[in-house]
This record gives sequence, C-alpha cells and structure tokens, in this order.
Amino acid sequence: MQKFTTSPVTPKCFHCGEDCNEEVLHAYDKDFCCGGCQMVFEILNRNGMCDYYSISTNPGTSRKIKVREDKFSFLDDAKICSSLVVFSNDSQTHISFYTPQMHCSSCLWLLENLHRLEPGVISSKVNFIKKEVDIVFDQRVTSLRKVAELLTSIGYEPYISFSDLGAKKTTVDVSKIYKLGVAGFCFANIMLMSFPEYLGIDSKEANLLYLFRYANLFLSLPVFFYSASEFYTSAWKSLKHRFLNIDAPIVVAVWVTFARSVYEILSGTGGGYFDSMSGIVFFMLAGRVLQEKTYRQLSFERDYTAYFPIAVTKINNEQPQTVALPDIQLNDTLLIHNEELIPADGIITRGKALIDYSFVTGESLPVMKEMGEIVYAGGKQTGANIEILVIKEVAQSYLTKLWNRKAETNKHDEERSFVHLLSRYFTIILFSIAAFTATWWFFTNASLMWNAVTAVLIVACPCALLLSNTFTNANILRRLGRNHLYLRNAQVIEDLAAADCIVFDKTGTLTTGRYQDMVYEGEPLSIHQKHAIGALAAQSNHPLSKAIAAWAGNTNGQMISGFTETPGKGIEGIVAGDLIALGSAFFITQKRTAGNDTSVVFVSIEEKVYGHFKFQNHYRDAIPELLQRLAKQYPLAVISGDNAGEQKYLRQLLGYEAILLFNQQPADKLEAIRHLQAQGKKVMMIGDGLNDAGALQQADIGIAISENNNNFTPASDAILAASQLPKLDRFIQLSKANKKVVLAAFVISVLYNLVGITFAVQGVLSPMIAAILMPCSSISILFITYGMSNYFGHRFRLK
Amino acid sequence: MSVIIILLIASISVAALFLAAFIWSVKNGQYEDEVAPAVRILFDDATLVSAQKTNLSTEDTGGQKK
Amino acid sequence: MQVEKFYYDNKTVKLFAYATIVWGVVGMLAGLLISVQIYLPAANFGLPITTFGRVRPVHTNAVIFAFVGNGIFMGVYYSLQRLCKARMLNDTLSKIHFWGWQLIIVSAAVTLLAGYTTGKEYAELEWPIDIAITLIWVLFGINMFGTILKRRESHLYVAIWFYIATWVTVAMLHIVNSFEIPFSFMKSYSWYAGVQDALVQWWYGHNAVAFFLTTPYLGIMYYFLPKAANRPVYSYRLSIIHFWALIFIYIWAGPHHLLYTALPDWAQSLGTVFSIMLIAPSWGGMLNGLFTLRGAWDKVREDPILKFMVVAITCYGMATFEGPMLSLKNVNAISHFTDWTIAHVHVGALGWNGFLTFAILYWIIPKIFNTPLYSKKLATTHFWIGTLGIVLYAIPMYWAGFTQAMMWKQFTPEGTLQFQFLETVTHIIPLYVTRSLGGLLYLAGVFVMVYNIIKTVKAGSLLANEAAEAPALPKEPVTHGKQYWHRWIEARPVQMLVLSLVAVAIGGILELVPTFLIKSNIPTIASVKPYTPLELHGRDIYVKEGCYLCHSQMVRPFRDEVARYGEYSKAGEFIYDHPFQWGSKRTGPDLARIGGKYPDSWHYNHMLEPQSMSPGSIMPSYAWMLDDAIDTALTPAKIRAMQTLGVPYPKGFDKLANADLMAQANRIRINLESDKIKTGANKEIIALIAYLQRVGTDIKVQPKPLAEK
Repeated sequence: MQKFTTSPVTPKCFHCGEDCNEEVLHAYDKDFCCGGCQMVFEILNRNGMCDYYSISTNPGTSRKIKVREDKFSFLDDAKICSSLVVFSNDSQTHISFYTPQMHCSSCLWLLENLHRLEPGVISSKVNFIKKEVDIVFDQRVTSLRKVAELLTSIGYEPYISFSDLGAKKTTVDVSKIYKLGVAGFCFANIMLMSFPEYLGIDSKEANLLYLFRYANLFLSLPVFFYSASEFYTSAWKSLKHRFLNIDAPIVVAVWVTFARSVYEILSGTGGGYFDSMSGIVFFMLAGRVLQEKTYRQLSFERDYTAYFPIAVTKINNEQPQTVALPDIQLNDTLLIHNEELIPADGIITRGKALIDYSFVTGESLPVMKEMGEIVYAGGKQTGANIEILVIKEVAQSYLTKLWNRKAETNKHDEERSFVHLLSRYFTIILFSIAAFTATWWFFTNASLMWNAVTAVLIVACPCALLLSNTFTNANILRRLGRNHLYLRNAQVIEDLAAADCIVFDKTGTLTTGRYQDMVYEGEPLSIHQKHAIGALAAQSNHPLSKAIAAWAGNTNGQMISGFTETPGKGIEGIVAGDLIALGSAFFITQKRTAGNDTSVVFVSIEEKVYGHFKFQNHYRDAIPELLQRLAKQYPLAVISGDNAGEQKYLRQLLGYEAILLFNQQPADKLEAIRHLQAQGKKVMMIGDGLNDAGALQQADIGIAISENNNNFTPASDAILAASQLPKLDRFIQLSKANKKVVLAAFVISVLYNLVGITFAVQGVLSPMIAAILMPCSSISILFITYGMSNYFGHRFRLK
Repeated sequence: MSVIIILLIASISVAALFLAAFIWSVKNGQYEDEVAPAVRILFDDATLVSAQKTNLSTEDTGGQKK
Repeated sequence: MQVEKFYYDNKTVKLFAYATIVWGVVGMLAGLLISVQIYLPAANFGLPITTFGRVRPVHTNAVIFAFVGNGIFMGVYYSLQRLCKARMLNDTLSKIHFWGWQLIIVSAAVTLLAGYTTGKEYAELEWPIDIAITLIWVLFGINMFGTILKRRESHLYVAIWFYIATWVTVAMLHIVNSFEIPFSFMKSYSWYAGVQDALVQWWYGHNAVAFFLTTPYLGIMYYFLPKAANRPVYSYRLSIIHFWALIFIYIWAGPHHLLYTALPDWAQSLGTVFSIMLIAPSWGGMLNGLFTLRGAWDKVREDPILKFMVVAITCYGMATFEGPMLSLKNVNAISHFTDWTIAHVHVGALGWNGFLTFAILYWIIPKIFNTPLYSKKLATTHFWIGTLGIVLYAIPMYWAGFTQAMMWKQFTPEGTLQFQFLETVTHIIPLYVTRSLGGLLYLAGVFVMVYNIIKTVKAGSLLANEAAEAPALPKEPVTHGKQYWHRWIEARPVQMLVLSLVAVAIGGILELVPTFLIKSNIPTIASVKPYTPLELHGRDIYVKEGCYLCHSQMVRPFRDEVARYGEYSKAGEFIYDHPFQWGSKRTGPDLARIGGKYPDSWHYNHMLEPQSMSPGSIMPSYAWMLDDAIDTALTPAKIRAMQTLGVPYPKGFDKLANADLMAQANRIRINLESDKIKTGANKEIIALIAYLQRVGTDIKVQPKPLAEK
C-alpha cells in the first residue's frame, strides 16, 4: 500500500530510520515509528549505551512486527536447549545465534556489549561474515531463553529453526590454506637458493652450490608430498571414475619434474627444477583457494527445516506445552500463533484461519480457511490464533515432499567443466608426443632420450590452462559477488553461460510479493461514498479490504450497522443509511462470470453496482525491459502458482512463443522444467519461494531471488539480490565471456607449449630453460586472464 | 661467501617461524571474519566514556548496571 | 560481574612520546649541523667531537634508534594495550625498557662523539652497547608477548603481527651483524672481513630499514590511520596479505646496496631480484592506507593529523617504488655513492617516519591528557612548513646526486676525465645550501609542534591509568567446537617466543662458525698481506674519525672510476679488513688506491689544512691528529684479536708488534723531516699516513693479479 503513504514530511524513526507512517511516537525529543523501536532506545539509554546511535545513524531494525511474549518459551525445554548449545559446563554455556538483522558497525558494537545489558552474559563475540553472535553466559544467573529474549528486545531476534536441531556446524576446510602457506614458504626459499645457479655462481664456490641444491631438495619435499597432494587426490578420484581430468597431466608433470630434479642433484649433474615445481604448485593452489572462496553468510543448501520453527505449542488436555518439531505426532492439537508457520498438514479445529501461502505456492493473496478445512504445512497464519489437528507428520507433509525429490538431480561439478574435456585431448596428444620423442631418441641417441622426454613433459605441463581457468573463475565470481549475484561454485559460471531457456516464477520474483497496485474502475465515487466504502472495508481484516480502507483514507465517525462478512466472497453493511457491499463478482452481481478473478473486488451501493477495484501485482523496477531484452535471445517462460490475472500483460511482454502457466502447484512447476529439459533444453529457473524449490533443484541452474539481507532462499545454485535482477542478461554475458577468456588463455599457453616442445623434442631445449619457461608462461597467462576478465566486466558495466 | 650460510640459516629459521605463526593463525580461525576486526578497533575506548556521560544524563542507572 | 575492569598504562606512553620529541630535535639538530659543515668546513669549530665524521653517526643513530625507535615504542605501547584489551604485562618492565633505552641512546651519543665506533653504518655502536641493546630488546619482547598472552581479545589485529615481526627480525639482525671480538673495553673488530663483512653489514643495513623503519610503522599505520579517520581500514584482507607477503620477501633485498662492488655477481643480482619483488607488497600497503581515506577527503581537508598521514603514506609509496628502481644495476651505477641515496632515505625518514610520528603525537597527546589539541591551526602550520621542508630537501639532493654522477662520468673528446673530483663537489654546493634550508624548515616545524604540545599538556592532565573494561577471553570453545581452542590461543604465542629465542640461539651457535669463515678467507691474491701494527693503528683512526662516511674504498669497474682512481677493487684485497671500509657515499674522492699517490708530507699538510693542498676542498681540518698520540699499549691486544680472526701474523708477533710499529713510525717521521716537518713518531698523523700509504697498494706489487674474487 506504499502507493498512498509516502509523503515527504513523514519523520524518520530515530532507531530504525524508517518512515513513521501509521503513528509517530515522540519521546526523548526523538521520533519513533513504533513502540518496539522506542523500547530498544529506552533500554540502551538506561544502560548508557547510546553510542549505538552515534556509531552509525539509525542503526536499528524496525520493530513494527511485534514478537510474541512467550515465543522463546521452547528454550526452557532442556532437550531443545542441549541440542542448540555448543558447549556447557557448570559455570558457563556457549551458544551461537544467527541474527540476520545484523548489518552495521553499531550492531557489532551493541552485540559485543551484551554483558552490560545482562550481567549473566560473560562475553559475546560477533562473526560479521556469518551474521552469528557467539554468546557465553552463566546459566546460574540467566538462561538461554532470557538471552534470546534479550537479543529480541534490542531488535536482534535470533533466528532459530528446525535445522538447528541437528546442530552440525559447517566448518570451512582450511587444509588448502595450509598447503598454500607451506608451498609459498618453500617456493620463496627454493627460489632464493636457485637464483645463484641461474645467476652464474662462481665455480670456485662449489661447496655453496651443493649446499643450495641439497637445501632445495630438502625444501621441495613438503611441497611434493604435502602441498601437491591436493592434485593427486583429485586426479585419482577422476581416474576412478574412468575419467581423465585436468589434474592428471599436472600430476605427471610434477612427478617428472621432481624425479628428474632429485636424480640430477643426487648424481651431481645439475641443479634440478624445484623452483618451477614448487612455484607451479603454489600458483595452482592459490588459484584453487581463490576460486573456492565461498560466501559463508549464504546457504545454498537450505531445506524446509530451515523455515520451520524448532518447536511449536501443543495443546495437551487444554494445557499449552512446547514440543520440538520431530515430536509432533498424528492427531496432536497444535496452537498456531499469528505470523507463525504451520509445521504440518492439519485440520482447523478452532479459530478462523487467514493463511498466507505466497511463499509456498506463490499465490499473492492470503486465503480464508474455516474450521474443518485442511491447511497445508508451510502456510503462515496471519491474524488470531488457531488450533489445528495434525493429520500428517512433518516429514510426510505436502510441502516437505518437494525436498525429497532432491536425490534425483545430483550434479557432480568436477567432471562437467569443458576444461577437463580440453585437458583430456591435451593429455593424449602430450603423451603421444612424449612417446614419439622417446622412441626417436632411443634409436638416434639413447643418451639424450630421457633428457628430451622429461623436457617435453615438463614444458608441456597444462598448468597454464588450469591457472587461467581458476583465476578467471575467481575473478568473475568476485565481480558477480560485488553485484550481489552469489554463485555456489565456479562450475555455475559455465552453467549460467550454457543455459538456453529461462523460466521465471512470477510472485516474489518478477513482482514484489508484498505490494499490490490498486485501481478503481467504474462510476466516479463522491468523497462521501468513498469514506463510506472505506469505513465498511475497515471492518474486515481481509488484505483486500485493508487495501481499500487505506485507499479511502480517514474513515472515523462512520456509523455501521448490520455488518456481515461472507468468507471468501465479500462483506456488506449499512453505512450512513446506505447498504454497501464489497466482494467478488458473483457475490455482488449474482452473475457467474467466466474466470472468477480473485484480484477484482466489486462494489455496490444500494444494490447498484458502481464498479470494481482492480488489484495488480507490482512488478519490480526495470523488469519489463529485462524481459523484453531476454525475449530476443532466449525462449522464456513464466510458471506461476498465482491465478491468471496477469496473463494478458505478461503475454504482450514476452511475446507469443513464450510459455505462460498459472495456478501451478510446486510439483507442476518441477514437471514443467522436466518437460523442457526433455526437449533438450538447458533450463535456467529463477524463483524465490519454497514453491519453486523443486523446480530450482531440477533446473540446470536455479537462481534464487532474495529480497533482503536475511537470505531465506530455497536450495539453489545461485542467490541473486532482488534489486539486481534487471542485470540478469549482463550477468549471463559476463559468464559467457568467462569461457572465451579461458579458451584464449589456453590457446596462448598451447602456443607456448608448442614452441617449447618443438625445441624439446629436438633435445636442444635444456630442461633448465624449460623449467624457467614454464613459470614465466604461466604467470603471463595470469595477467592475460585477469586483464581480459576485467575488461569484460567493464564492458558489461558490472563494477 | 660462506658467510651467506649464516644469513641463510638465520633468515630461513625466521621464515619458518613465521610459517608456523601463519599456520597457527589460520587454524585458530584468526581470519574467519575479515570485517569485524577492522571495525572493532574503532570502538575500544568509546564505551566507558559514554557510560559516565549517561550516568549523569539518565536518572535511573542503578538497577541494571553491575 | 563477569566483566573485568582494568587500566591502560598511559604513563609509559607519555614518557616515550616525550623521548621521541626530544631525540627527534637532537637528531635533526645534528643533521642540520653536519649539513652545514659540508659547505662550511669551519663549522666543525676545530673540535673532533663536532666534526662531520663523528656527528654523522650521531645523527643517523639518533634519528633511527632514538627518534623513530621511541616513536615505535610509543605507538606499540599505546595500541598494543588497546588491541589486546589488556594493560602491558608488567609496569616495571615498561619502566626498565624506557629508561634502559634512553640510557643506551645517551651512551651511544657519548661514545660515538668520543670516536668509539665499529665503522659499520647504522651499527656503529660498540660491543658493550650492543649487549645492552640485546638485553633491553629481550625485555621489551617479554613485555610485548606477555601482553599478547594475557589479552582479552582473541583476534590478533594485523598491527600486532607487524609488531611481532619487527621484534623477531630486529633481534636476529642485530645479533648476526654484531658478532665482533673486543680487544679493549670500548673497542672491537668485526668477526667478518671484507666482502663477507660487507654482505652481512648490508643485509643488516637494508633490513634495519625494513624492519625498524617500515614494519613497525606499518603496524602503527594500520592502527592509528583508521582511528584518526574513524573508519575501518579499506581492506582488512589486503592488510593480512600485505603482511605475509612482506615478511617472506623483505629479508633478502639487502645485497642491492653492494651492486658493482666486489661482491659476487650472483649475490648482487639476488638482491636486485628480491628488491623488485618488494614493490608489490609495499604498494599493497600504501594503497590500502590511502583507500582507507577514500570518501573522507573532506575530513583530510580540515584535520592536520590526516594530512600528515596522507603525506607519510605517499612518501612511503614513493620510497618503496624508488628503492627497487635504485636496485636496478644501471640506475644504481648512477645513483650509488651520490646524494641521490641521501634524498631517497630522507624521503623515507622525513616523510614516512617523521610525518607519521608527528601525526601520532598529535593524536595521542590530547587523548592521554584528556584535552583537545591546543591549536589545530599550529598543527596545520607545522604540516605545511614540514612539507615544504621535505620538498626543499629532496629535490636539491636528487638534483645534486644526478648532476654529480653525470659529471663524474664526463669524458673529454680526447678521452680524459673532464672534471676533477673537487669540481664536481663545488658545482653542487648551492644545492647543499638549499638542503640545509629544507632541513631547517623541517626542524622549525618540529619546534612549532613542541610548542603546541607543551601548551596541550599544560591544558590537560595526564590520564596515567585509563579505565577500561572487557570480558575475559572465554576459556572454552566458542565457535566450531574445537575443544583445544584455548590451548592454541595460549600455547602459540609462547611457542613463538620460544622459537624466536631459538632463532636467536642459532645466531649464538654461529659464533662457532667463524672458524670456517676464516678458512674461506684464505688469500686469493698472493700479494695481499696483513696490515702492519702501525697501519692497523692508522686504520683504527680512519674508522674512529668516520672517514668512511665521506670516502669510499671501492673502485667500481667503470671506465670513469678506473680512469679516476685506478685498478678496480677485487674481493681478495679485503680479506684482512675488519671491518670493511667500502663506504656508501662519496662526498670526497674514493681512497681505494690512495696508497703511494702522494708523498707523506702532502697527507700531513692536507690533514692540517686541506684547503692548502687542494684549494676549495670542503674537507675539515684534522689538526688534532698532529698532537694526539696513539696508544701503543693496545697494540698487542689488537694483534691478538686479529690473530683470533685468522689474520696470519707470525706466532707471538703481538710481543714484537710495538717494536715493528716504532720502526715504521720513525721511517715516516724522518721522511717528513726531509720535507721540513717536525713531529713525534707516536702521533696519530703518522699512523694515519702509514695506513693511507698502504691502502690498495698490495695488488700493485704484482702487475696482474692472477686470481680474483
């Protein structure tokens, strides 16, 4: 309804900086948008912690949506407690909370000064990247629940979900970093001690020379046995899959270099090439590490458990009691509070449900449910409390089934990259050349054979290819990340480029889920009538009624009599002597029109139909342009769980060949994707809600749209900030460029190799030159890839 | 130039020392959060000063403060 | 109740701050004095202790170890406490550290002026002081690591890493470079000889710059810049990479100070290679610093502290770019031995170290005295005067260096050198004058600061113990449930301390190495013989008066140098030189081939009144050498010391040494008498002449040296 609200003069809330729309609280000569915000301020002020506001302005998060009193009562449950706690002894407990509201330095400061608000807190430490706060508290003084409520009271309501019950913290694997460090250290010093040889150390200092050589040998061991193991394992894995990935030739090169170097040094015939060996290992590891930089603050693996509350209130012979989600059984009676998710399919046994399925099914409007009707898990109750009788266990629920399909679509990334295909041919050719050289020299001059062969193998190491690939990926990932498109891993770049068909979800993806644009069509209404209608609408808490009431503006002092509400149909009542009715076409006109369009509300005054209010989805900015641009290059499709209200509009946007499907159940969406894939299409699915989860999984690449910083997105290959969606086409272009860059770099490196090999096979290329050539070529490759990828980045205006 | 041996031993032992330090710092998770530490140093002394300041400003500080 | 209350120790910080200012003024005054002497030799007042050769080490040592040194400690003691959320480990240690360090500085100043010097640049201090430095440094280490151990903040901010690196490396450098064998209470000879001594010295010399003037200040920058700008550093990850990259490369850049010298080529090139590599991390640091201020330039406009910092960081960037350039052989061929080097180091010293120190002083003093700075305007004035000073200093010196190098290499069409050395000097004297002016301005700025700070201090009152509170470090796992988490935290810094001591111990073990060092000193040029006792005395006088500070003893293999001085220097010539005297600057001509060039009487008169021999010379008079006598009592000790270092004097020569000495002395005396110069045989001048007449003559004995290097 923001359409009507934003007037320039609305004061900003001192706490959260939002406009104070409904009410302006004025206290401590400051404005607050809601009691919540004011309360936070009071707490901080009382404890002399107003630095919170000086560190950055309006640091708070809006508290308009009240948090239920006993929301965290489940934390009193010992079983749940113990499953959440990281560590505990008799004097202190360690807990780690996920607080998505955390966003600025003030948050950091406040969250690390909790001990000044609550004596029981011993210390609190923020991990800003993970948006987690690790709290140590003395359970003799305070309790887990108290701590959670403290956080809530200052505006950082911890997000505790069903998935925390498993409490398996994902720790990042740092072994690569160690390997990198070791390789770096050895590389630097080996280089240091190899230079004297290159720089022509005097023959009179032979003793030094030998010292250097053996020191190098010694230093190279950790690189060979530890750092390089990264590649051994990966090569071995792929070999077991009867597949030759890029690491195989790398390993060969490393081994050959090492073996030959050891031989040379022990036999005193040369200095070996440990510098190039360790250098290559170092750079390739660096590439891997960079490329695998993961966005720890995001989770690409969310399943439904992340959305479900960890515990719910169960009515046990009239007594509410907290139970952990897994303990819910059939025929339990659950008490569902306002704004709470329905954890399991059930039948309403008490109260009137107004359930918002937008997240589950994509329907933009909440649906009324009467006692006796079935409600599905995942819907969110808005309004008064209701009670439901569980008819399916959580794991069996309609929605959770979606996730069980997961298994079918497991993509093992390693193998798919075109890099590996390239390297396969590369390797085959390389080995044949080596073999040829060997035989040739064997018959001409056997003494030179090994020299030539090893030189070939060393100089032809495809490290350049791997380097260019990893570093380009890393750079592209970085750029996309800066534009708030976060990819699960490097492979996704290629998938992004490869997709040849784009499927959109409507609600929440193309449109902003929440807001609706409302227009009135029909006979003009007098101010008087307008207010009357508003007054009537104000009686109902159906979102459409609310919208109309807001549109009508001030409606006080209107006498209403005989108000009746027919759920799902409409309302009527007598305002200032006129009988006014609002509702569906059928309710008002008694005529069965074709598609009973739920997004149209008719109005009649004294039985006379005046006109209707039309509700339209509010499309995100610049989306139409995006769709038109994409329609030129890709077959597009919109698969919506919502009604067909938007069909006409979308059709003219996307053109006639575009596929438009409405009223799609999540399962249907998944099927639709399958169907497209069956036609040999590589499908890119872009959606936001749980209802898209299955489809996102099924698609060759699923991009989840995330509205705000607390990214509750379904499992997907990529997460995109809603505001950045219009850049989608440019993102795709960039990822296509990625392949170009790598290929270009590869061609160049092949040229290097060809030159090198031509000399090597003739045995004129001394392995030393080869060893120098290799790192040089690799490093030049790095610069090329970096430069090119940046160039494309600029070209597609992605900073 | 055999003196370079001394320099080598000295330098490399120091380098090794720092390698150990590096491995420790990674293992210890020193670099898990690259945002907070940079921000954190900006706070340190702010806290107490303000505490004193507001002790004067607000009437009831007793109860909650330790 | 869980929160621990504690107090930051500001008293020590204050003391170090004061020391920084005082020694800064002293060091700069010394610099100013000697800069004047260059064009006004009389400015040495005819006294040994005010003559360039002795004041110059005072200047360098005062600026590096007193001014910057105390600056470092000020910064570390202030920031470390706050970064660790803990008071320094032990107040007594802090006290000892402070007073000990000041004591070292004073004794350094006194001994240097008295002429006690090892003759190795930036390591001139004699052995007792070297030991004192080691002790105090270890105490500082204990204090620092102790604080790190009892910290209340689990994360070690990048600045702390820089501090740790500084401590460890400086300890190692100091120990390795200070191997020396004492032969008297205040005198010693370097363990190493000639080329090897040179290598060690410049490996140290460069790293002294790297780890005393750079890493600690980078740490300080990473703390105070964000504080002053009140915004986090541009990229914390970059700062971490910056640190680790720097650490692994810096150590090896040393040899670039010896390009074209008798040092083996491969060692020279090694220095070059690593110096070039240094650009990357250095600039990483600089950009990180500057980017931190991006979007805050409005702040910079009104805040003098930020102004100082911006210039400081820029200068750091310039110096770290110029350094590697200078280490390129062809550039170095021009720049080396000229004032270019002087300009280079002063951009670093005045700009990077000086300005950053001032910024920190302006920031810390008001903080610990709990009062605003007396006058922002004065600070800004200081900034502008200082900047102007730097410009007036650097530009003339670059100019002078380049011009002089060009003139040195200038040949006439006939193929003879176009300019006498003296001409090349007199030509650039105006630039020397401007330089002094720049220095004067810079110093004036400092006085403005002194006034400003005194006023500030008067206005406020020292917050000797600043209250702070922080929760103790949790003793049990916090994240990723590592059970041994806390043991890591506690064990590792200890371990690092231990390991660093091991590194130092290795240095100690290496004291056994000299035996094989000496083996590698076997004469490669048959005709090179040890110095006679008299020459040894003469050489010690040469070192004592700091001749090496203006005269090199290293003819590089260039056409002009060979034409000007003679046969280029060979490594084999220096095997008995403890310490080496190659020098790093040619304010006067090279002396590697001075031996036998002039008659004894020439040297006598030249020392008495240089201008009489070479009109227009800027060399001061060393008249006192004509009166002072050498201490022959020390001769046996000197000989014995040399013998232990492997100099092949015959057994028991120490007994006969003085007889030999007197014999040679008399020959020279008589020789002088023949030129109507009357003097005692035991005068310093005699010994000096003996030495000068010997320098570089050995290889002349045989026409062509067979083996070199």
